[in-house]
Amino acid sequence: MSDWTLCIDFGTAYSKAAVAPTGAWSRFDPATVRPLMLSAEGQNAFLLDSAVFVDEDRVLFGRVALNEADAQADQKRAALRSFKTLLSVSDLDRALNTNAPLTIDPHRVFQMRDLIVLYLAYLLASIDRAIVADPSLAQGATFSRRYAAPAWRSGDSAGMHDVVVRLFGEAEAFRAIVGKRILSPEGLSLRTISDALPKAMEQAEALEMGLIYEATAAAAYTSVGLENAGSHMIVVDMGAGTTDIAALARLGPRTIELPEARVTLKQAGDFIDRIIANRVLESAKWAKRDEERSELWSVLMRQMADIKEAIMADGRATLRNQGRSITLAFKEIEKDEDFRDFYKSLRESYDHALAVVRDDARARGRSEVQAIAVGGGAATPFIQDLIRRKMESTRPRVIPRPATPDWAHAREFRGNLAPVFPQLAIAIGGALAPDSMLAARTGFSRPANDRSGTPAERD
Amino acid sequence: MSAGKKTKPKKSAARQRAAQGVLTDALAEAAWGEADAALAQALADFDEAETAEKKGARKDALERLGQALSRAARKRGLSRLGDLDERVEFDAEAHDLNAPVAKTPKSVRIQARGVTRGGEVLIKPRVAPADKKKRS
Repeated sequence: MSDWTLCIDFGTAYSKAAVAPTGAWSRFDPATVRPLMLSAEGQNAFLLDSAVFVDEDRVLFGRVALNEADAQADQKRAALRSFKTLLSVSDLDRALNTNAPLTIDPHRVFQMRDLIVLYLAYLLASIDRAIVADPSLAQGATFSRRYAAPAWRSGDSAGMHDVVVRLFGEAEAFRAIVGKRILSPEGLSLRTISDALPKAMEQAEALEMGLIYEATAAAAYTSVGLENAGSHMIVVDMGAGTTDIAALARLGPRTIELPEARVTLKQAGDFIDRIIANRVLESAKWAKRDEERSELWSVLMRQMADIKEAIMADGRATLRNQGRSITLAFKEIEKDEDFRDFYKSLRESYDHALAVVRDDARARGRSEVQAIAVGGGAATPFIQDLIRRKMESTRPRVIPRPATPDWAHAREFRGNLAPVFPQLAIAIGGALAPDSMLAARTGFSRPANDRSGTPAERD
Repeated sequence: MSAGKKTKPKKSAARQRAAQGVLTDALAEAAWGEADAALAQALADFDEAETAEKKGARKDALERLGQALSRAARKRGLSRLGDLDERVEFDAEAHDLNAPVAKTPKSVRIQARGVTRGGEVLIKPRVAPADKKKRS
């Protein structure tokens, strides 16, 4: 049996990973939760940029890939990002066998599958480095692995699990062949890749990996350590591209998703960004010429995260452009017709999902449903209002839970986990969840830091 | 139990403490990275507020200063306690009285919100006796 459970959150912009001791679910001690320091660069060691850049004669990974892509942006070159979006398409095999676009691979040698395997190898090597550097994990610890994924809309996530695990298996085999060179800021030469990748594809073994739905991971970090956590939960996940609503029920040791409650709306953070930007442009009467308006648009997009956060948290935001101050209040966003349509759909979808989960709770004689908001939009007032609304009928009661659980404020973290918790939440929740919460499992077990079969370093 | 066996748990505990320290420092650095940028912004906005010659420009700079400070606070996990001008029952344990009074007031208004982090109150709300004529 493994000593630790490792969960990988393969994110759109960043990948994250965390470990928790096996059995943490039943004997929870916040101090034993360990987010992994995946990144050697940047101020936030816990976030690994999800990016691959195919350069003239090399392939670069992570932050270095993004920097190089920025440097070559004027040559119509781009880094491959958003792997997660690719993994969510209904015909995954076909998508993986597609050639990478010319902007991403000017040599026309890589299929999307190759680039994903290369990135996963980089991610696995980064995880290994983080484990070795952590004094409480390094000495012979063994790990069971799982990854978090949304309950994908267009396809069957659990059905795609075998394909995803196969990709991880190929990545593990590739990493074993190239060793630590993959973590070098210089990346890997095309020659090394063309030698090693076909071998890795042949040598790939099916790893033992679990799949945990992101909503289940949210349920895990919210409920862990609570004596009366309740058996049913509704999760609202507002990310950049979509807002997903999911309902879960814990039945004995197992957690199931109630698929009839699942709703996905195509409006989310990016949609709100556009509304904010359009409202500001409307109010900036002095910006009449096209170049003034496009300059203001790029200022807005660069500062959007801060502007949106201020609007949502403080009710308004003020920004500067060309010596002028512009203030936008949340009230103005509420007046926007597109926003009103979105909010109406969101309320209806939430009500539908809540009715499903409350019916299930009622039928099983349960008295409570927990409501939680996760993702980048978790703290927005209209999402918080949604999960805190009073119900007409009193039972089962709906209990809103905080986006950051109380245990993240534990004294051991000296106030430092809570501010970054939302970014790491899914990896942490996935590591804490018991096996019974997994949506799928595959293959055989091997410790995450097992180096057997790793050849001696070359060059 | 042999002496050798006694030292093992000590070593293990020391390693755990060291590991926790490394993790906490890295978490702090991650959280401070974004807060630093907001604080730098706040310093620049403060200078603008101080040197602004026109009332409107000063008001704008103060608005941005407040926004930058709020952002830095959020990045450090701080949140406000109470609402400005909210009328509440006075609690000597929970409030700081912001005005000299001859008699302990029953009802007060919040002049400056408190600040908390994870249930710990870092600054109590500053209050002043409520005007009896003014009803909320």
